[in-house]
Amino acid sequence: MSCAGDSRYDISASPSPSKLPAMLRRRLDGAGRATCEILSALDPDANYPLIHASRHGDATHTLNMLEALAQGDPVSPARFSMSVHNAVLGVHSIAARHYRPMQALGACGHELDALLCEAQGYLMEGHAAVVVVFSEGSVPSAYRGHTQSPEGPCAVGLRLSWGAGKKLVASDIPHPAYPTPLDVIAWLNSEIPHLDGYRRWQLEAG
Amino acid sequence: MNETHDLTLELKRLIIDTLELEDITPGDIEPDAPLFGDGLGLDSIDALELGLALQKRYGIKLDAEAEETHRHFASLNTLQSLVETRRVD
Repeated sequence: MSCAGDSRYDISASPSPSKLPAMLRRRLDGAGRATCEILSALDPDANYPLIHASRHGDATHTLNMLEALAQGDPVSPARFSMSVHNAVLGVHSIAARHYRPMQALGACGHELDALLCEAQGYLMEGHAAVVVVFSEGSVPSAYRGHTQSPEGPCAVGLRLSWGAGKKLVASDIPHPAYPTPLDVIAWLNSEIPHLDGYRRWQLEAG
Repeated sequence: MNETHDLTLELKRLIIDTLELEDITPGDIEPDAPLFGDGLGLDSIDALELGLALQKRYGIKLDAEAEETHRHFASLNTLQSLVETRRVD
């Protein structure tokens, strides 16, 4: 499996004008918006299966709903409608008219390994390429100390194929690690030689 | 500014804030334009959200299935009439 690297896409708090219509964009948090931007950039013609992974999803709004329920207040219908893990892919599919397979994952810290494993499955089925995005939103302060999460919202995407590009190689490691999207970015930028997740991932020159 | 104008602006802000219409200003909401579909472009989830906001702010309880509710939600003007006649605060 190989991947193409590209860091041109700005996913900061105020990215360049979005392709997402405002009426769809408004219900996504920063990580969700960045995810849709990356999906559009890596799959501009809506040709490939898409997989989105996030360990915690939109945890801030999920917690807000739980707090409302605990206080006996009604839950926001708009928030409830977005409270499924595949909501971001759903918004993207409407905006981009994407009708190919889409999958949302949460894997308790093993999101990258799960993404690559699922992507390999789609490639083996004969798809020319697969686009995967790994994102994390802000984790509410109430959860700090109870789970690992990056400092702020972040997202990273890869387009994977059997074709030309760097070769992705996996090897076993004794102790699994739990990489965040920031770790994946550091690895893709060659700031670290390999990425430890459930397995050790390395990029070799194609 | 009289009371009617105050309520008009208040309702516009309620719609923008409640429905997170980040690219819309009060001046963009025409009093007679449809709120749903072609006009402002709101969807069915917005209708539920707006119903909840009217209940919280003005104590107005609406039946989501009732034909009467559809008429109240037709435009800003019809919404304003509803609030003027049914508010309990």
